[in-house]
Amino acid sequence: MNEILRLEHIQKYYGNQGNLTKAVNDISFAVNAGEFVGIMGASGSGKTTLLNCISTIDTVSAGHIYLNETDVTELREKALTRFRRENLGFIFQDFNLLDTLTISENIALALTINHVPAGQIPKRVEEMAETLNISDILEKFPYQVSGGQKQRCACARAIVNNPKLLLADEPTGALDSHSSQMLLCTMQRINEQLGATILMVTHDAFSASYTNRILFLRDGLIFTEIRKGGDSRKVFFEKILDVLTMSGGGVTDVR
Amino acid sequence: MYGKLILQNAKRSLKDYLIYIVTMTICAALFYAFLSISSSFYAPDIGVEYNITFLGEGMKLAICGITLLIFFLIQYVNHYMLLHRKKEFAIQAVIGMEKHMIGWLFFAETLAMGAVAIILGIILGAVLSQFIAAMLLTSYGQPYHFSWMLFPDTIVLTICFFAFVLLIVGIGNLRAIRNIKIIDMLYADRKNEPAIQKSKYMYIIVIVYWILLIAMTATGVSKVSYYYDSRLPVPVRVMYLGNIAAPAVSLMTGIVCALLWIRRGKFQWYLAAAAVLAAINAIFAASVHMLHQLYYLVGDDGTMRLYLLYMLFDVTFMVCCIIYLASNLLAGWKEQHPACKYKNTNLFFFGQMISRLSTASKTMTLICLTLVLSCFLFVAMPALTGWAEGYLAIRARYDIQVATRYNSVYDEADLPKDQYEILTDFLSENGIETSFDCAINLYLTRYDDFHNRKKYDFPVVAIALSDYNALRETQGYEPVCLEENEFTTQWREIATDDDRSAFLDEHAVITTDAGDYRLSENPCYTESIGEMIYNSYTDVIYVFPDTACEKFLPVMRDRFITMKESIPYDCAKELENRFLQIYPEEPDENTGVQYYLRMRTLQTNESKASTFILQTSMTYGAIVLVVMCLTVLSLQQLSESSQYRYRFGVLHKLGVEQHEQERLAFKQLAVWFGLPILVAVLMSILIIACFFQTIAVQIAAYVGWIVLLHQVAVMAGILGSLLLCYFIITYMLFKPVIYN
Repeated sequence: MNEILRLEHIQKYYGNQGNLTKAVNDISFAVNAGEFVGIMGASGSGKTTLLNCISTIDTVSAGHIYLNETDVTELREKALTRFRRENLGFIFQDFNLLDTLTISENIALALTINHVPAGQIPKRVEEMAETLNISDILEKFPYQVSGGQKQRCACARAIVNNPKLLLADEPTGALDSHSSQMLLCTMQRINEQLGATILMVTHDAFSASYTNRILFLRDGLIFTEIRKGGDSRKVFFEKILDVLTMSGGGVTDVR
Repeated sequence: MYGKLILQNAKRSLKDYLIYIVTMTICAALFYAFLSISSSFYAPDIGVEYNITFLGEGMKLAICGITLLIFFLIQYVNHYMLLHRKKEFAIQAVIGMEKHMIGWLFFAETLAMGAVAIILGIILGAVLSQFIAAMLLTSYGQPYHFSWMLFPDTIVLTICFFAFVLLIVGIGNLRAIRNIKIIDMLYADRKNEPAIQKSKYMYIIVIVYWILLIAMTATGVSKVSYYYDSRLPVPVRVMYLGNIAAPAVSLMTGIVCALLWIRRGKFQWYLAAAAVLAAINAIFAASVHMLHQLYYLVGDDGTMRLYLLYMLFDVTFMVCCIIYLASNLLAGWKEQHPACKYKNTNLFFFGQMISRLSTASKTMTLICLTLVLSCFLFVAMPALTGWAEGYLAIRARYDIQVATRYNSVYDEADLPKDQYEILTDFLSENGIETSFDCAINLYLTRYDDFHNRKKYDFPVVAIALSDYNALRETQGYEPVCLEENEFTTQWREIATDDDRSAFLDEHAVITTDAGDYRLSENPCYTESIGEMIYNSYTDVIYVFPDTACEKFLPVMRDRFITMKESIPYDCAKELENRFLQIYPEEPDENTGVQYYLRMRTLQTNESKASTFILQTSMTYGAIVLVVMCLTVLSLQQLSESSQYRYRFGVLHKLGVEQHEQERLAFKQLAVWFGLPILVAVLMSILIIACFFQTIAVQIAAYVGWIVLLHQVAVMAGILGSLLLCYFIITYMLFKPVIYN
């Protein structure tokens, strides 16, 4: 398998010498192309910080992040912006759609920013909308559609440029259970059918069960890692719950 | 405790209050500066012949009237502040502070900031008032010396006015805070973008315009029934019929569209058609005055004003339509040009602009119309003041002028023959020496003309050559020579070349009571010898040899005096009172003669004071309006910075580079400022061109087109500088929004 992302001894500190907070404390792992990886952990475990560092929105204090053998920690601001635009796709908890543009224009914006020729844009937007089942709402504005539809639009915008890595930060956080399920199915489908590599941060066991591998974070460190392998989603879900029970603390933690 | 909280809050949010303080300071400074010359403590050395008491009272009224506009601006800025602080208020409410206490704290904060702004404004106003004082002294022909002075009564008036405004606005804020729910305050900045839909105000405007169209059609019909004649020139007939057809077609189009389109949601198609028809209407309305001047048509001033008003209504309606349709036009253009739509970040830019234009078209329209008014004031001011000053120079050519009118005299025995000895007595009584003194007769060349009182056929009067030369001499012109059987003419400045040549062609030879006379080799003189010498409704007098005048009927008896020194203001007032008791301006009960006394001192005083009030109040009004518009335009952008921060944040996450975001922000501001200004400038040019056309004769006679254009260019420069300042400040304040 091709290794697409590699993290080597990533550390991220906040504050100064007198009051130092270690958000991420020496994390290393790799993601292969076509993998759907989940990162789980309690609040404050450092999962969002880790995602921000991978997505180049935040900088690391130490360590290296390689994406397709490019060390993103060495890139300057201008190169980073270009790198982000060409290689990464984002799905955010609060959708991050532009309310002044229609759904189709929101998707098209990602293409125009990447200088895709104007003639190709409508076709690619339609194809992507069909894949994500949002063709009938393309001419509507974000405030006219449901949360689930908004997130699918955000999903379409994230993958329309065929990014090397799709990063999702609590994508189901603002959705009801039905919309969450639909979105996760969609993400699973684009992973399986389009071969997209996805890295998803979540604290929800149900969402995590759609991934193939989960890294559990606790206090800025990888606490454990489990793989789905040949298990069914239900079995994988139970395994996740077991890990969560274990990581959430034993009897010694309940005092 | 609360006092400390107020001070800390005010200190902490000083940056937020910057716009508030700047706006209030500018308003207070302008108010103080323009009002300072009306202060009872202001006593400039402008000479004994001037008295500025009248000016002070007039200024006070004009400035206070205009300043009421500032009230709306302060209210708007307060509203912006309130929006800005909502979340903070919510937190205070959540931790248990009562809403009325939050309101009072905010009130105290704004009052504290207002007090700072007023103090700064008065200091700045004291500097600005130097410019006003310089303007005043220049207009009175006096040298200007810098003198740093604060006027207590103006300071008190400024403080009282702004304290009153702050109190009213503060009470409004208290009520607003009391009525907002905590949850709404808490999530004020997280509120979803309202659905992009247009306000319904345009429907009301359309209905009002339809009512006006009915009035326009009715006016057109009535004018045709009074004045239309098939013998009139073609353009005139087109004008008369066009002023019925154009509004009628507009109205019919509106009704048909209402039935066919509006219900199907095609209101914008009707507006596009209506805007074009309004432009045609405006052209027909504007042509009324133009053709009346060109073809000397019969028509009263009321009709002219009415059609000018109709033209203004048409232009206003056009502005409303253009701004309302701007988002549709942009959206349509975007869809027609996919290559441009999908280029770089254009999609984002179009989205921003279409959304903004759709949701804020009402504000944009108001700004646009206010800017038109401001541009008009800026440009009309030099024309009107130039006219007033030019006219003063022409009419106040003697220290004392006595003129008479025989319009109500029906018996030739009652015609005036007086020497006005009262003037001689008064001047010697007060030890005022004269340098020129001449009493003259003005004659009718034919006795039969005495009873001719038709307004448009009023007889031209004649002056004897010796009297005429005496008047010319005192004005510094060469004397005129005439042969025994010759006459010549003297013209008012206002008369055009066409007027003169048409008259002279018709009057090459005239028959008089003294026989036939022909025009001399020099048939006309245009050097000014005073305005009072001409007969009513005429712009010309004949000049005849003295021997001929002896046979004419003298109908008017005038006297012209110039002094070695100017008459002091108080003396002039007293002389005027004494004279009017004996020689009334209203037709004399016994004889019917009307007497007019004109003194340079009084004429100059009144004219200069009125001109100055006109000049300052128009300048002040124009500046206030333009400051209001630009502040509102600026605040509209800044008040929604949280939304913009979010949108530019999305762009940042999508990988749009910083310099591209800055370019987008610049473009957005340029269109936001540029669109209303461009529309306003185009409309102003149209209105100003019509206005100049209506007073073209006066401009040519009293101001001069080159001088006027130069002054208009200066005004345009001032407007442009103001705009540039606001644009740069807004861009500087807006730029941090994109640095997430």
